[in-house]
Amino acid sequence: MQPTQQVSIPELIQQVPLNYYLIVSTALFVIGIIGVLTRRNAIIIFMSIELMLNAVNLLLIAFSSYRSDSAGQVFVFFIMAVAAAEVAVGLAIIVMIYRNIRSIDVGLLNKLKW
Amino acid sequence: MLSDFGIILLFILAAFAFISLVLFGASFLRPDRPNVEKMSTYESGEEPVGNANVQFNIRFYVVALIFVLFDVELVFLFPWATVFGQKTLINETKGLWGWFSLAEMSIFVLTLALGLAYAWVKGYLSWVKPQQKIPTVDTKVPQSLYDQVNKKYQPKAKASQPASGTV
Amino acid sequence: MLPIILLSVFGIVLLFMGFLKSKVLLLPATLVFILAALATTFMDWGKTYLYFQNMLLTNNLAILFTTIVLLSAFMVVALSNSFIEDEQAQPAEYYALLLFSLVGAIMMISFENLIMLFVGVEILSVAMYVLAGSDKHSPRSNEAALKYFLMGAFATGIMLFGIALLYGATGTFVVSGIKSYVYTNAYGVSLLLYMGIILLLIGMLFKVSAAPFHFWTPDVYDGTPGLFTAFMSTVVKTAGFAALFRVLSVSFVGVYSFWWGTLAALTCLTLLIGNVTAVYQTSFKRMMAYSSISHAGYLLIGLTALGTQTKQALVFYSLAYSLATISAFGVLLVVSRQRQDTNGVNENFDAFNGLARQNPLLGFVMAVSMLSLAGIPLTAGFWGKFMIFTTAADKGIYWILVFAVLMSTVGIYYYFRVIIAMYFREGAAEPVKVAPFYRYVLIAATILTLVLGLAPGLLEGLV
Repeated sequence: MQPTQQVSIPELIQQVPLNYYLIVSTALFVIGIIGVLTRRNAIIIFMSIELMLNAVNLLLIAFSSYRSDSAGQVFVFFIMAVAAAEVAVGLAIIVMIYRNIRSIDVGLLNKLKW
Repeated sequence: MLSDFGIILLFILAAFAFISLVLFGASFLRPDRPNVEKMSTYESGEEPVGNANVQFNIRFYVVALIFVLFDVELVFLFPWATVFGQKTLINETKGLWGWFSLAEMSIFVLTLALGLAYAWVKGYLSWVKPQQKIPTVDTKVPQSLYDQVNKKYQPKAKASQPASGTV
Repeated sequence: MLPIILLSVFGIVLLFMGFLKSKVLLLPATLVFILAALATTFMDWGKTYLYFQNMLLTNNLAILFTTIVLLSAFMVVALSNSFIEDEQAQPAEYYALLLFSLVGAIMMISFENLIMLFVGVEILSVAMYVLAGSDKHSPRSNEAALKYFLMGAFATGIMLFGIALLYGATGTFVVSGIKSYVYTNAYGVSLLLYMGIILLLIGMLFKVSAAPFHFWTPDVYDGTPGLFTAFMSTVVKTAGFAALFRVLSVSFVGVYSFWWGTLAALTCLTLLIGNVTAVYQTSFKRMMAYSSISHAGYLLIGLTALGTQTKQALVFYSLAYSLATISAFGVLLVVSRQRQDTNGVNENFDAFNGLARQNPLLGFVMAVSMLSLAGIPLTAGFWGKFMIFTTAADKGIYWILVFAVLMSTVGIYYYFRVIIAMYFREGAAEPVKVAPFYRYVLIAATILTLVLGLAPGLLEGLV
């Protein structure tokens, strides 16, 4: 392929087989899940959740350009905007907890027993 | 025949190879004689103060949150802009399309502006002023005398603030 | 789709009404707003409409679910008079968040495009995260908010991955588009679709707190301020089941044989865990949390035995459950606030001791609500269970039926503990004071429960 040739973004995305995108985003997603389940710091759990969302975004973009259908990209916009709202609320909750107990270790939150 | 991504992979490999070659080569050639002065953070002699892990003031956090929210909402303007400017659509509807999409986006932005106005009225946008901490000295001079002196020498602009703080 | 727009505008109006000096107007204004939204919901009655370029679809079922949600919200708001007296509370924000979360609930009920499902779930959940932590200085409320937030966001992530896989398999987010894909590719459905269904189901089951994704529920319900717990256990659950029903009955009905076994197993697990753990609770509020898990199990039976009767059973059951839950929480709120012990508000069973002697009305309201939740005849809860069990019998899934009946006998035990405490134990001498409007709301909920119990045919033929 000539480097000077103008390539549209969907074509560029399609240079990598779809399965690879599937594998990468599944891997990211699983890393996110493991992070949520094993870490104890609320902020890091939160970052792992964001990683999961970004895995979804990657997958949606890949599917969207392979199918030449814009709906997937629109969904990504919504995920990004909603994730920002979630970040705001989540960080506010974490700061509120930090002010009260001076820690964000979820293991210390045991006022409510099973 | 390499694809474009193959070239990128080659670049990455080459970069790693080059960096490691240079760093290892240099460590073999150079003399290694550390001393206290060399190991300090700034070799210029500047003493670092405190830990880099300090906590930032809470006021940054509120402003940052509001920024994140309004910043990310902008993402909806990009797809809108591509549809808004389409000549064929505008010509087909004799300009009505432009007004319609402009009105839609105005509603969106106005709703956001309402949110901003709410935060503003609530006072989240105003910079939190640090609370004055008045040092105490163990003397027999009563606090009221200090207050008088403070009042006398206070700058005029801040005169409205009560000078007597908690001790 | 006027209610969605109206509720959003009303929410913003309420936010700005909070800047007024007087807080007296807030509660009546919120009630009027919800009633206005309820009135406009019925404009589409009897018709099927697609709104906003195939984003939302309203039909009679969606309208009925919306009515249940708005009715529950109306009652919860009507019980919220304590905010006005509380110095710490910010009633304008609370009411605005409740209205916003109703927007999300209606979107979940009437979505046609999975984008709307996601946005609706998030609007509802984000508002609920804030409300769960609204008691800012209480460590329990803080903890509930954090747990709800982390688990809710986690569930959303899983659900989104499911939606992305479904999109990859079918190339569309539209619910009916997925249905036609499933039907046209009956034999060669791609693996992505199956994975997508499973992940989407997991995400949704998290939201409706079905086992084994229920572990956050008791903590969150326990720590959240009581009023918002009532909202959470009625509105969120109803909207969640409406969404599950739409996605299962429209999109995935073609691969019923794939998912029904999994769902049946989860149903039994939910029933078992919900009912058996509820027996061991000493706190009434925690018991209600486990009871809400077990009711999720009963509702899941209806979905497992998906048939023509399912929608009616779901509507009736969620209405009966919402009414009973709200009146139970209504009684709990006044009683726990006025019979405090050393730990502050007393939400244990012993707070109800002797209640029926001092406050016969509160005792009766609570007794009817417990009987309805337990599914005793002459209450709405009985007919709800009856309809749900009928769907399972029609489908021929008898083993699940036997199991559910067995579990509901366990349920009778812990619901009757409250009744025994109220009627047969000695308690505090002074009666609990109840505001007049509060009393009317409780009476209305109780009368509705009894009317539906005596005449279950009232809702028949609506869907």
